[in-house]
Amino acid sequence: MDYFFHILIIALVYTVFALSLNLELGYTGLYNFGHVAFFGIGAYTSALLSLAGFPVALSMVGGMALAGMTGALLAVPALRLSGDYFGIATLAFGEMVRLFFLNERWLTKGPMGLPGIPRPLGIQAGVSGLPLYLTLCILLALAVFLGSYRITHSPFGRALKVVREDEFVAQALGKNVFSLKVRIVAVGSLLAGLAGALYGHYITYISPSDFTLNETILVLLCVVLGGRGTQWGPVLGAFLIVFFQEFLRFLPIPVDFGRVVAPIQGMVYGAVLILLMLKRPEGIVPEYKV
Amino acid sequence: MADYYAQLLLNGVVAGAIYALFAVGLTMVYGVFRFINFAHGELIAWGAYLTLMFSQVLPFALAVVPSMMLVILLGIGQDRYIYKPLRQRGRITLLIASIGLSYLLRNALRLIWGSDLQTYGFEAARGLSFANLIITRTQLAMVAAALVFLGFLYGLLKFTMLGKSLRAVADNMDLAEIMGINMRRIGLTVWTLSALFASAGGVLIGMDTNLEPMMGLTNLLKAFAAVLLGGAGNIWGALVGGLFIGVVENLGVAFFSPGYKDAIAFAVIILILLFRPTGLFSIIGGMR
Repeated sequence: MDYFFHILIIALVYTVFALSLNLELGYTGLYNFGHVAFFGIGAYTSALLSLAGFPVALSMVGGMALAGMTGALLAVPALRLSGDYFGIATLAFGEMVRLFFLNERWLTKGPMGLPGIPRPLGIQAGVSGLPLYLTLCILLALAVFLGSYRITHSPFGRALKVVREDEFVAQALGKNVFSLKVRIVAVGSLLAGLAGALYGHYITYISPSDFTLNETILVLLCVVLGGRGTQWGPVLGAFLIVFFQEFLRFLPIPVDFGRVVAPIQGMVYGAVLILLMLKRPEGIVPEYKV
Repeated sequence: MADYYAQLLLNGVVAGAIYALFAVGLTMVYGVFRFINFAHGELIAWGAYLTLMFSQVLPFALAVVPSMMLVILLGIGQDRYIYKPLRQRGRITLLIASIGLSYLLRNALRLIWGSDLQTYGFEAARGLSFANLIITRTQLAMVAAALVFLGFLYGLLKFTMLGKSLRAVADNMDLAEIMGINMRRIGLTVWTLSALFASAGGVLIGMDTNLEPMMGLTNLLKAFAAVLLGGAGNIWGALVGGLFIGVVENLGVAFFSPGYKDAIAFAVIILILLFRPTGLFSIIGGMR
């Protein structure tokens, strides 16, 4: 039962993460390939603040705020160019943030990572705190889900979809495309920061190797597999991917082959991305087009 | 002290020559197909690793040949089976497919050769010194190879009909097709050249340092910085951009912690996007 709780918590963290990417990638058509950077910034900021003695809830808000601000700061230069460029610029930014975590030992302890991150609201570390932490995750994921619904069904959200379909039309309609994009990247990064903070306070240990391109690919897969630009797609995708990953642990794989499991898993994820694009680019839940 | 900086400059030019090889391939694909091939870095890494594999049965100089051929097949294959069917589907599908492909290829690499550092096992040769500057034989080979490949490219683009049509396609694809240029042939040429340059550069980098599965990604980002510097699609711009990245990165070692060596290219990307999104040479235009 505890193990089931653990899987649910990870799935909910990824749900929040995927929902935040979906705002950018699904609704606005911004190919953010460095989304893990904001996940990492949220996790590290919140962990460092709480280790410095601030209340955990406040630290998480701090993590979200810094992630959101960094997102806006990155978006201003990166959004000058559209499309592929934004993709690579964000990819480079993701790597840069990882190098920062790795090299600034005075702050992040480098590759050693940060151990002993406290859980919020007095929830105990270890197994006994699981049900409460799960409740917290459910509440927050629900809030993010509803918030994302509100955003995408508001006039702001509809304007984002116009930007995705055709920027010139959006401009002709008198929308400030640049400002719309910066705002949605800020919101997306803020929510990714929340997902990161939830992850860090749950696992209670983070290191730079938790925030690599692999995590970006994973969350990209959640969004694309579930269905870009839909409300339920990322949720479904996150649950499918996390359950698949945990399910692999139960396969009777001989110890000798343990070394090859991670690469094969990566190959499967890459292949699924390609096949999805070739055969079913809309994902499992297709977007409802008016 | 001046010697120290001169040495760093020299190292930078050597590294930059290789980045130029990567960047030229990447920008050529962009010039014709208008998309950034995220899997370009994996062509680099596969070139290096396949050479490692063949060099166990063949002499090193011969081992390069089959590995380059395989990488060229890989480059043509990825276009034929993945990118071509997606070309009309919009750019986001193309990009996601190419990032998926790069992930697939990188993990296949890890599966076959493991994640540890590997080398070609050359003995460390003593460098040759000229006027207080030291250059190793490998570095000389790197510069020579880069010169040969880029000279070949120059000749191809400037003096052959194929090169002329290539430039025409990069300039205006639809118009070029109307004029009766064979697009299939152009596509094949571009992928062949891009894969050839990537694998050659990958082997040279492997000779100079070592082989690791992430080498593709690191070098892709540097190549991309070079492409941006030169203005996307501008071949000679990418060449100069590559040299620039190599020099800045190596001079940067004198001022920043070496842990940030790779971050310099990323910083260049962000700075270029901030101040000159069309590239440094956009006014001059340059030959495509």
